[in-house]
Amino acid sequence: MWRIIELLLSNSLRLAALFVVVISLNGCSAMKAVHEEERLVPRYLEENVELNKFFVAKGDDVIGRLTFITLEKGDTLPDIARHFSLGLNGVSAANPGVDIWVPKAGERIMLPLSFILPDAPRKDIVINLAAMRLFQFKASAESLAVLTFPAGVGTEERPSPMGQMHVVRKVNRPTWHVPVSIARDHLKKGDILPAAVLPGPQNPLGEYALYLSKPSYLIHGTNKPASIGLRATNGCIRLYPESVKILFENTPVKTPVNIVDQPYLLGQSNGVVYLEVHASTQGTAAAEFDKLYAKLRNLEKKSGHTLDWSKVKKVLAEARGIPVPIFEIRPGSGKGIVEPTEVRHPSELYGRPKIPELKTGAWSVLAADLRDETDAVRLAAIINHQGPQIPARVIAKNAGYRVVAGPFNDVREARDAIKRLKIDLEIDGRLIEPI
Amino acid sequence: MKSLMVISMMLVLAVSLGGCATTGELEKVQSQQMMTGAKADQAAQDAQAAKAAADAATLKAEAAAIRAENAVKMAEERANIADEKAKIADEKTRKADEIFHKSMKK
Repeated sequence: MWRIIELLLSNSLRLAALFVVVISLNGCSAMKAVHEEERLVPRYLEENVELNKFFVAKGDDVIGRLTFITLEKGDTLPDIARHFSLGLNGVSAANPGVDIWVPKAGERIMLPLSFILPDAPRKDIVINLAAMRLFQFKASAESLAVLTFPAGVGTEERPSPMGQMHVVRKVNRPTWHVPVSIARDHLKKGDILPAAVLPGPQNPLGEYALYLSKPSYLIHGTNKPASIGLRATNGCIRLYPESVKILFENTPVKTPVNIVDQPYLLGQSNGVVYLEVHASTQGTAAAEFDKLYAKLRNLEKKSGHTLDWSKVKKVLAEARGIPVPIFEIRPGSGKGIVEPTEVRHPSELYGRPKIPELKTGAWSVLAADLRDETDAVRLAAIINHQGPQIPARVIAKNAGYRVVAGPFNDVREARDAIKRLKIDLEIDGRLIEPI
Repeated sequence: MKSLMVISMMLVLAVSLGGCATTGELEKVQSQQMMTGAKADQAAQDAQAAKAAADAATLKAEAAAIRAENAVKMAEERANIADEKAKIADEKTRKADEIFHKSMKK
């Protein structure tokens, strides 16, 4: 009997031991998964990250830090971009495939808050058209600081000027004297512009303007903040209202402004060479590419190591507008690469358009009747991001979704919104009378 | 004569005895034949049943193959429709972004 019990016990112990081993092995794989997850999602979420002001370490060309954020329901990329002082181009290029207007809640996206400084003297104001970003350098005896802001630049048809110029005057609450070419463009669409637009919400220059020595070109604010990071100006440099205010206060008249177009940026930090590539539509891209190739060849020659050209090709093809490490100057210097961080989603996004409740006693406009909810949400978001804002929301109705703009104080305001919807967005809005 | 008589009687006895043995064997053979016949009938029936089952299985397999083929076709059609829908959605998104971009000009 005892022998049987002993036998059973020893078998049970063996089974238990086996069980423990199996569980431990499973634990190991689970831990591995946790560690892998940890590398992707840092446990600590930053409350704030540096957006505009950076110090440039001696010999370094790269500033800032790539950051991640998890999106919430109702977020749009233009809202995220503005809150983190980024252009729409920057956020969009860094996150290919993410819907600009209706991204998925819970989607983790990259905030490209790391920049390679343009290849230009680090003084005064330097604007890189390809990166759609302005840099203002402030040197002291001990350090070099840089303020940087995203910008909107000229279209292909009316590109921003390049070269050396300077600020000739600064105006708070400027009047916009409508250029003949722009008045003609608007007239083609049935929109008659006045000769001058006074300061206020209709003024596309915003609250601050820095006039450049190149006639007719300005660095100014905007009444269309969602246009920052787009090639949508007539050659001027547009900044977010909050950015231009800082620049205006920090820039004396006669400050030199150097405008370059560098889609291929090469820079080093902590012994690692980074490559940042931006999609470029300007004609300078081919010449800039030749320059990049010569620099890379020179790097190989100087270091005596071969470059990973397949990696370079990949960075060039993707053009994500973020600094990507491509080369270690000294073996092991890759340890100096700054790991990305993650920021907590703010409770409120700065500058996000507010959507007031519809009032039964107010005028409103039916912008569209759609079957697909996503299409309706997208359209409402686009209408909300017009400048000045046209408030719009989606209302579920039977099997479809209605996009309703308003409320408007009077019929004149409502009719004005219908006109803007037609001219700017090709939408035939229908007037809804107060109930 | 007497001896002839004995010989004849012996012959008759022998023949009689022989006749008896043949009848028994015949009965045995007949019963065996009957059993074999029954078995053959059973075998034939079994074969027929097997053939019928095989035919039914073939039909079933063919029907399954047709169903599978149809399912593949339907899946392909669904994938094509999904692709088409995705293309339409992409096109709608692209157009919306393009219009938005235009609206951001001064």
